Amino acid sequence: MSEHDFRPQDEDDLLAAEYVSGLLDLAERMAVETRLRNDPQFAMRVTDWENRLVGLNDGYAEVTAPNLLTQIEARLFPQPAKQSLWNNLWLWGSSAVAALAVVAYLALTPAAPSYTATLIADGGGTLRYEAVITQDKLTITRVSGDPADAAHAHELWIIAGDNPPVSLGVLPADTETISLPGVAPGQILAVTQEQAGGSPDGKPHGPIVASGALTDA
Amino acid sequence: MDDPIAELLLQVAAQDRAAFRKLYSVSSSKLMGVLLRILMNRAESEDALQEVFTRVWLKASRFDATKGRGMTWLIALTRNLAIDHLRQRSAHIHDDDAMAEVADTTPRAETRMIASGEARRIADCFETLEPDKAAALRGAYLGGLSYSDLATSHDVPMNTMRTWLRRSLLKLKDCMG
Repeated sequence: MSEHDFRPQDEDDLLAAEYVSGLLDLAERMAVETRLRNDPQFAMRVTDWENRLVGLNDGYAEVTAPNLLTQIEARLFPQPAKQSLWNNLWLWGSSAVAALAVVAYLALTPAAPSYTATLIADGGGTLRYEAVITQDKLTITRVSGDPADAAHAHELWIIAGDNPPVSLGVLPADTETISLPGVAPGQILAVTQEQAGGSPDGKPHGPIVASGALTDA
Repeated sequence: MDDPIAELLLQVAAQDRAAFRKLYSVSSSKLMGVLLRILMNRAESEDALQEVFTRVWLKASRFDATKGRGMTWLIALTRNLAIDHLRQRSAHIHDDDAMAEVADTTPRAETRMIASGEARRIADCFETLEPDKAAALRGAYLGGLSYSDLATSHDVPMNTMRTWLRRSLLKLKDCMG
């Protein structure tokens, strides 16, 4: 029995099956995960295998988990939206009631994200950032890997086509929200390692530690 | 829609924080079971559970209820994260308490009787495979064992294991239809 027993037309389906079964090593998994983002037909094969093997999930026991919501929410929602709204109201005074009502409505209406990006390390390291753009706000969260050490900073850049990278600032915490109008799918988000405090001249100097393209959410 | 988890995911995709808390309360035990089974370490699993729910919030808009059930999507996301973590660490950091909690999750006769239709169907198809190959595939899926782990534990070359399991996967696909 050898590799020649497998028909070429089965290769993609077997790769999807091996990925879903958990058989692949790290480099192969990273390659599959990159392909999943760009190849809808292959993504469908993976979904089909997830559904095919779903019965195996009964083999996982339920184990009561501690309530980690406080930590999770602190990661996702670092600044309560309410506070900034009330700060705005206070600053603007009470005369423009109608306008305020509109602002309050906009601020309180949850909006679905329009673009997302997963920023991963090129060499397959653990560092991973997830970015979500909702209207003109970009929220970026470090979901795995280490932050920059004390002597360095992680700086976020956006790259549109062949234009030079534009700094979106140093990423100070696990999660950061940045105002960012006028983005489009296909633009690249990249995180570089810069000196502490960030690049002094608005150009990236350090290595890219994670990057990914914006896609429609 | 007869899928309460899918409904919660759609609400989470619309940035509903109350639905997010509800989703945690109804799904965290199952997902903790997945993480412990793969990572075999309590502290690491609790960290990973935070990562899982961070991703759920960020990625819920990618969930498509026409392509599968909510819990299937959550378990796939959790397994993928756990297996990536497992592969990224050089040596397994086992923790005996965690192993005891998840050691025996193979459905026993009595649980098999009340298992879901999906579980029965795949169990029937696993019966058509040779027992050691079925066990290896089950170990890969549930525990995140790689070709190389399985080749070592079955004492065969990695390419042999690869050929065995690729054949088994094609057989399984035929059987499942």
